[in-house]
Amino acid sequence: MKYKWFACLLCGTLAASGVLADEVGPASDPLDPVPYRLRSLRLSDRAAPLTTGTEFNPAISVIFDFTYGYFTEDLDDPAGFGMGHDHGHGHGHDHSHGIEEGFDLREVELTVTGSVDPYFDAMAMITFSDDHVEVEEAYITTRMLPGGLQIKAGKFLSDVGYINKQHPHDYLFVDQPWMREFMFGDEGLNEKGVQLSWLPPLETYTRFGIEILQGESEGIANYIGDGNHEIVTMLPDAGVPDRNRWRAGKGMREKDGPRLFTGFAKVAPNVAENHALQLGAFGGYSRVMQLEDTHSSGRLETWDGDGWFAGADVVYKYDGQGIHGHRNFVLQGEYMFRQLDLAYRSQQFESFSSLVTTDANDQRWKQDGLYVQGVYGFAPRWNAGLRLDVLGITNDGFEGRGTPTDFGTSYRYTGQITYAPTEFSRLRLQASYMDMAHGDDDDDHHDDGWMFVLQYTMSLGVHGAHDF
Amino acid sequence: MKMQVWKLLFAWLVLVNLAVAELNVVATVPNMGMLAREIGGEAVQVRVMAPPDRDAHYLEARPSMMAALRRAEIVVSVGGELEIGWLPAAIRGANNRLVQPGQPGYFEAAAQVHLIGAGRPADRALGDVHPHGNPHIYLDPERLAVAGFALAERFGELRPDEAEQFIANAQRFAERVEAEMAELRVQAEGAKGVLLYHEDADYLLKALDVPIWGYIEPLPGIPPSASHLRSLVRSLEGEQGVIWTMNFQPSNAGEFIGRELGWRAVQLPSQVSATGTVDDYFAMIQAWVDTLEQDD
Repeated sequence: MKYKWFACLLCGTLAASGVLADEVGPASDPLDPVPYRLRSLRLSDRAAPLTTGTEFNPAISVIFDFTYGYFTEDLDDPAGFGMGHDHGHGHGHDHSHGIEEGFDLREVELTVTGSVDPYFDAMAMITFSDDHVEVEEAYITTRMLPGGLQIKAGKFLSDVGYINKQHPHDYLFVDQPWMREFMFGDEGLNEKGVQLSWLPPLETYTRFGIEILQGESEGIANYIGDGNHEIVTMLPDAGVPDRNRWRAGKGMREKDGPRLFTGFAKVAPNVAENHALQLGAFGGYSRVMQLEDTHSSGRLETWDGDGWFAGADVVYKYDGQGIHGHRNFVLQGEYMFRQLDLAYRSQQFESFSSLVTTDANDQRWKQDGLYVQGVYGFAPRWNAGLRLDVLGITNDGFEGRGTPTDFGTSYRYTGQITYAPTEFSRLRLQASYMDMAHGDDDDDHHDDGWMFVLQYTMSLGVHGAHDF
Repeated sequence: MKMQVWKLLFAWLVLVNLAVAELNVVATVPNMGMLAREIGGEAVQVRVMAPPDRDAHYLEARPSMMAALRRAEIVVSVGGELEIGWLPAAIRGANNRLVQPGQPGYFEAAAQVHLIGAGRPADRALGDVHPHGNPHIYLDPERLAVAGFALAERFGELRPDEAEQFIANAQRFAERVEAEMAELRVQAEGAKGVLLYHEDADYLLKALDVPIWGYIEPLPGIPPSASHLRSLVRSLEGEQGVIWTMNFQPSNAGEFIGRELGWRAVQLPSQVSATGTVDDYFAMIQAWVDTLEQDD
């Protein structure tokens, strides 16, 4: 009985998947009298089995991203989101999608994609900015896994949410939403690791995925480890300066990766022919979240703990049936919450080789952010859009079991207008007004202000198809 | 209890599998869907991804396309990079090994026929060029007939039991094309020529031996400027012809030139409906050819 069920299932599955069809159909008959048939045979001698995407293999594209920025104020991180790098030594990270004042070459993206063999596709994106070369993404994806499964492995932008996996030239605005920048970090959730995704064979597009990641994203999984805290002081002396080296372990946890685990689900109900809707939910847990701040006094502040996040995303696209994007409309929004549980310590040198803890407490941060944006193609090749960023609707820092400190909500209002002469070139003018929360600190200088940016993006070579 | 749930699940899976015993075909554009239905007959179930009234150059990969491709056993595309802006992304997002390029479940009609304009320089200063050649073979009944045989063989690889029927269907389609084209050639004889918006009816016009006066686009994919339109009018002054614009292309430039030259400007569809038949296809071609007849 059991066996019969199974055999039946097996046959059905094999028939449906075409596995049984490995026998080739009847050979072409060279004496076929119909001229088209003869033509087909003659031509198929020279014709390749496919043409698309074979002109260059691997396909290479280069995208230039230039900006000119003008700010009315010096811009700071929104209150409550500058932890660990607030005190004068700025952003320590080496590659930012942020906008600079004046002329700036934000980056040149060099993308190489292709099929490795029948089993794998590969892509690598290298970004060049003024003084940095960085591997933005480099990963392989499987082509031949059965059952709607796919594995992606390497360094890649996580599929959580909607905008996280997009590259700067895909954004419908010059810059990324605050939510991505401050909840995940400047580069979003860009990690080394493995992703497994599954598409069930449903009428409605549905996709599930889990990711096992190294855990290096600064907003949720920043990792420092147990290095040494070291400063060198000098006392001016007659002739030879008196040099003292102060060095001691930071006392932070050492944890090998993977440290970050995420999951996502997306579903795209079939709405109507010219409408596309996709809903998503996502979340993640980071075993390690560490921050540090070094003061010129030699004092070291550290935060060491873990964190989790969860969110939802929605995208709606209307195809206006016009030419070159005319009447197309995109509405998208995402919300995300994160909680960080961190053990805080302030340490000072008590001798050249040891630190003493002068202050310690347990902190809990509950923060969230969202953005909503809409872009409309008001004429062929032209579009304009509005975006609202809200960061810190919940923006609470707890010390121990005490009452939370609310760092307040920051808002950013952005408008853009874009002209794209072809698919390969684009000019964009954007204005933002930032209404910043002032935090709990009187000397916090979170000024409200305007930001104006002109961006021109040019694409050379093969510009592959964009994902939804 | 648990056992029963499993049995139900098995039963459901078996039913699902029986239900899809027809070859699950996804076509990119409606004309390819027509061809797939014509060649596949009863043995295939065809779904079309692109709406008929849209420029297949400029579509976007949609989740609904990925859902369709997820369950497809073969994707039937025009090829020649016509769908390069969306089909690769849709296939990438479909997690289906059967329809990966290079597999039997990935079919490009353009790769089965000789393309005109192949080997042009791959320089985008010359517009949105296709170095493989002009991909708009879906408006050419003869090339579709040739591709039909290749498609029949491919369907036969996937459904060997039906292989002979597929070849017979391709044969029937080719015979129909031959008969229709003979009539259309007679009708088009002596036609004065056509000014096109884009290089998309070149195959049909060449097959009918109708001259092409030129293109409203100065370069493929580049919209005409006022000065380009004026120079077109100057160069065509005193000639006779008709202006063809596809239903998704802007009509105003063609109408302007038509007024200036006293030519008829027509705007018609280039794709059948999503469920269109071979009759619909030839009705569409016939409508184009009917416009070639001069009033004088």
